[in-house]
Amino acid sequence: MSSEGRKVMIVPCSGIGKSYGTVSREAAFEVTEDSRPRSTQLVALSLLVLGDEGARAAVGAHPTVTIDGCKLACAAKMVQESGGAVAQGFAVLDVYRRHREFKPQGIAELNEGGQQLAHALAEEITAVVDDLISQEEASHHA
Amino acid sequence: MPGFLETTVDKFIFKVATDRHYSAEGVWALAEGDRIRVGMTDFLQQLNGDVAFAEVKPEGTAVATGDEVAVIETIKANVEVPSPVGGTVVEVNPAMELSPEAINQDPYGQGWLVVIEASDWPTDRDALLDPQAYFELMKGQAEEEAKKL
Repeated sequence: MSSEGRKVMIVPCSGIGKSYGTVSREAAFEVTEDSRPRSTQLVALSLLVLGDEGARAAVGAHPTVTIDGCKLACAAKMVQESGGAVAQGFAVLDVYRRHREFKPQGIAELNEGGQQLAHALAEEITAVVDDLISQEEASHHA
Repeated sequence: MPGFLETTVDKFIFKVATDRHYSAEGVWALAEGDRIRVGMTDFLQQLNGDVAFAEVKPEGTAVATGDEVAVIETIKANVEVPSPVGGTVVEVNPAMELSPEAINQDPYGQGWLVVIEASDWPTDRDALLDPQAYFELMKGQAEEEAKKL
């Protein structure tokens, strides 16, 4: 799917109080571990908050997808404050509005609806990742 | 633009519009002649978080005071909104269908829920709180909530 070295960074919400943060992380894990492990890399929001040089360099050098669990949009804001650009930002609530049948509940452990919502979100992210990688390859060959 | 009473509790700022009446449950009622525009207060929307969906009773629905006039699904809860006034729903905010986040963005303006043609507004109004009374009640509720954080 991707050429070596071309990666998309994935930065999910780090919120701990609501299901939506958990959905964001489950979706991020599905993309980075299952659907596109070679073309994506998970970046912990907490590392960006801490100013970790490696995390800052990663979002500064690669297209970055953020997944926010609420309107505070901490993931998107921290990527921008870390010198990166958000190639595509997702909000779990927007995805839920498109998939009302998948009502997320639970925090430490998502219910079935939450898992299905995370999967639907992961599919949307995967499509965006493929598009970003294609753009990177096209610009490389141009 | 209405004036506002405003208080800060913990890191949150809560506003109460001064041009309308309130139920203790955090629902406002703004008289426009015999028609009463109804919505959620700033405190109620902040307490319950981002709105995902709003299901509002359709036009023509008869409601008694206290009847459910809307159910608001947020990231935290399903909020049943009791009508502060009895009468008939004559208008539903079309924004509730496609952009219910208007409740969060502008609870006293674009985020209104319904307009009700009141059957006895003077009686209902007398049972509601004026802005200052609701402001004091809300401050207490907000402080109680802050203790849970």
